[in-house]
Amino acid sequence: MRAGKAERLADEELMPLIGEQDPGAFEVFFDRHGGVAYSLAYRIVGERGAAEDVTQEAFISVWRSGARYDAARGSVRTWMLGIVRNRAIDALRSRAGRAAKLDFDDDSILEHRPAAELTDAEALRRETAHEVRGALDGLPGEQAKVIELAYFGGFSHSEIASMLEVPLGTVKGRMRLGLEKVRGELAEGLA
Amino acid sequence: MNEIEHDRWRDELAAYLLGALEPGESAELERHVAGCGECRQELDWLRPAVQLLPESVERHEPPARLRRRLFEQVREEAGTTRPSWGFHSLRGRWPGGLALRPVAGLAALILIVASGALYAAGGGSGGGGAGGATTVAVGHAPGVTAQVVREDGSGTLRLANLRQLPRDEVLQAWVRRGQRVVSAKALFVPNPDGTATATIDDMQGVSAVMVTAEPRGGSVQPTSAPIVSVPIPN
Repeated sequence: MRAGKAERLADEELMPLIGEQDPGAFEVFFDRHGGVAYSLAYRIVGERGAAEDVTQEAFISVWRSGARYDAARGSVRTWMLGIVRNRAIDALRSRAGRAAKLDFDDDSILEHRPAAELTDAEALRRETAHEVRGALDGLPGEQAKVIELAYFGGFSHSEIASMLEVPLGTVKGRMRLGLEKVRGELAEGLA
Repeated sequence: MNEIEHDRWRDELAAYLLGALEPGESAELERHVAGCGECRQELDWLRPAVQLLPESVERHEPPARLRRRLFEQVREEAGTTRPSWGFHSLRGRWPGGLALRPVAGLAALILIVASGALYAAGGGSGGGGAGGATTVAVGHAPGVTAQVVREDGSGTLRLANLRQLPRDEVLQAWVRRGQRVVSAKALFVPNPDGTATATIDDMQGVSAVMVTAEPRGGSVQPTSAPIVSVPIPN
């Protein structure tokens, strides 16, 4: 399929084409999600070369298994980013002792994008990103920390408990309270 | 199930969504959730908070080489000799034996550039420029049209039907003089309507004008096959 035509398709419509090994559809898919995928990988592994490898592996995995996407389990983007996250955590764990970076301040970088390049979908994602960051920033430090260590660091609750020297129940409680607050801050209908 | 036991499971839900449970614990929780509507409901409500965490990360542009590596592998696996369309699909050889900068895994060298319909200077192009300008050549690549208008010693390259580039790439114009291909020192991006214009300062001795997609900032020599190549009659 010509990339121009594929660009008009929704992600869910691209997936069957990718499952049929259509490079044009895959190209459009990468253009839509390659940026956030690479950014997430970089956020987790903390190094550009490794982030590139993780991103490439994740997209190749989608290329080879696009037909296995199940719409009932969430959006294509969520599915894709889940793959990136898992591979990045695997890469992180294979490099002993590597800690994730802990910051959420990317407003200035996002603002450098020319407005003319923003599609409606990108504009919505920016708004979402802003909302999520705002929700995370509003959390008490100890709640934000356990969420970040778990999601971006790939640590289990027991590892976090021993790292922070707090009881396991405290870690679980902080995760729950933190996530509930973040969820409460998000507009209904997101994701 | 009593309330205390239920609360224990509810405390596990966030850790489960964050991937912080051990594999055995996750399996146990999934069995509980399968039979507990209340926990299932809470899990579904909480899930977007985790699914949107990746959107909060600081954005970094993926390097151009990542794209190259990825699409080389994809095309190789697809067994395609002609990619669907698009600038970044056109990785490969340059005509005229110009050496490409080494690119990893050039197994899928592809060349689908057409330097198509060519019109003699001043004649029949239907695209004559204003004033003293003369359309000297028109080239076509699949889906892209190019026109070179010469005025005195310089030239203007006009392109149409271009698709938008990733933010980390630009278009770069090149000219061929004899066997040498050199940068025309013109970097540009397509307009929202798919058109683009570039100035070629010196058309002296130019036998072809070509355009490639290059990493932002341009390249010393082409790193991809031309999107369009317009032969210029003497």
